[in-house]
Amino acid sequence: MTTPLETFEWLKLRGHRLSGTVFHGPCTFDTHVVLLIEEERKKDRGTCSLVACVQDIPHYQMKTLILIPAFNEEEAIDGCIKSLLDNYDYDILVVNDGSTDETLKIVSALSSHHPRVKFISLICNVGIGGAIQAGFLYATRHNYCMTVQFDGDGQHDVNSLAGIISYAEVNQLDLCIGSRFCNLETDNFLSTPLRRLGIRFFAALIGMLTGTRVTDPTSGYRVYSKAATQLFSRYYPDDYPEPEALFFCVRNGLNVGEFPVRMHERQGGISSIRYFKTLYYMIKVTVAILIDRLRRKEVQ
Amino acid sequence: MMSAELLMLVGGIVGFMVTLYWVRKREIREKWCVPWLALAVLLLFFGSFPDVVMAIATWARLSYATAVLAVSLTIIYFFAFSVTVSLSRQYHRNLRLTQEVALLEQRLRHIEECQKHRIET
Repeated sequence: MTTPLETFEWLKLRGHRLSGTVFHGPCTFDTHVVLLIEEERKKDRGTCSLVACVQDIPHYQMKTLILIPAFNEEEAIDGCIKSLLDNYDYDILVVNDGSTDETLKIVSALSSHHPRVKFISLICNVGIGGAIQAGFLYATRHNYCMTVQFDGDGQHDVNSLAGIISYAEVNQLDLCIGSRFCNLETDNFLSTPLRRLGIRFFAALIGMLTGTRVTDPTSGYRVYSKAATQLFSRYYPDDYPEPEALFFCVRNGLNVGEFPVRMHERQGGISSIRYFKTLYYMIKVTVAILIDRLRRKEVQ
Repeated sequence: MMSAELLMLVGGIVGFMVTLYWVRKREIREKWCVPWLALAVLLLFFGSFPDVVMAIATWARLSYATAVLAVSLTIIYFFAFSVTVSLSRQYHRNLRLTQEVALLEQRLRHIEECQKHRIET
C-alpha cells in the first residue's frame, strides 16, 4: 500500500505532468499492478491533472488481461491456462475461434471453476486476427489497462510473463514483443530454419522501411498498452497479423520494444502456416506492409 | 449464322429480363441491379448501333472482334472489382457481427451466473 503522496511522486517520476490532485484514499501499485490514474488534459494550459486515485473507482482500476486466441487447441489449452492460474493473478480471456474439437468444452469447464478464466466463443472460425480483435474489444469494454497476447499451444513460456509485463510498463511501451532472438539461450526453441529465414526477412523489411530494429516480428507473445488495445479494437490486420500490427505501431509513432522470452515447441495442435500457406503468408504480409507504408499516419 | 450484333441484342434483352426477374424476387438488391441494367442497355445499344463498336475499333486500331473483346473485358473487370470491394466490406461487417455476438453471449452468461449466484446465496 502506498500513500497518495507517494503515488503522486511516483507518477511524476514517470513523466506525468500533474497538478491539482484529488485523492480519495490509499492506492496500491507495484511494477505489475500499476498506474491507478485517469488523466484529464487541459488543452489551454498544456498540463494534465490527476482527477482521482482510481483505486476508489473499480471501473478504472489497473487491470491486466491475458488474451489467449484458441483454435483447436484441446491438447495444450488446459495445461496452458492452469500454469497461468498457478503463477499469476491476472484475468485470463480465451477467445475460442470456432474450434471444432473439445477446446470450448475444456475452457468452459475451467471457467466454471475459476472466476478469473473468462471466455468468448466466436460462432465460426474468423482467423487469428479476428479472434485477437474480439479480445481487444473485450479488454477495451472492461477497462483493462494492459493486454497480453499469449498462445494457447504451450509455446510461450509462463515464467517470462512477469518480466515482459514489467518491461512494457516500466518503459511505457505501447507494444512489447517477446523475442526468442534477443537473448539466445541454448534451450530456447527457435523454430525451423525456414521460418527463421522468414522472420529475418520481415525484420529486415520493417527495419528498412522504418529504421526500427526488431528481431522477432512474427512473435505472438506480446504486451499491448491500453492505447494500443483501444486502437487495435477498432482495426487489426486479419490473416497472419503480427508483422503488420508491429509495422502499424512503428509507422504511427507508438512506442515499440522487445523483451527476451523463452519459447517451447508446440505442445499440441497444428500450425496454420504450412505447405503452400507459407508462400502465401510471405507474399501477403509483404504486400500488406508495403501498402501500409503508403498510408498516412493514423494516430495523432 | 448469328452475327455479333444479333448476339449483343439477344444478350441485352436476356440480361434485362434476368435482372428484372431477380430484383422482382428480391434476390438482388436494387442498388446492384442498376449496373446490371446498365450493362443490358449497353449491349442493346451496341447491338442496335454496330457502327459505334466499329468506331471504337478504328480509334483503338483494333479489329472488330478484338474491340468487342476489349469492351467486354473492361466491363467484366469493373464488375469483378466492385464485387471484390463489396465482399471486403461484407467481410468486415460479418467479422464485427461475429465478435459482437460472442461478446454479448459472454455478457449474458456472466449476468446469468451472477443471478444464479444471488439466488443461491
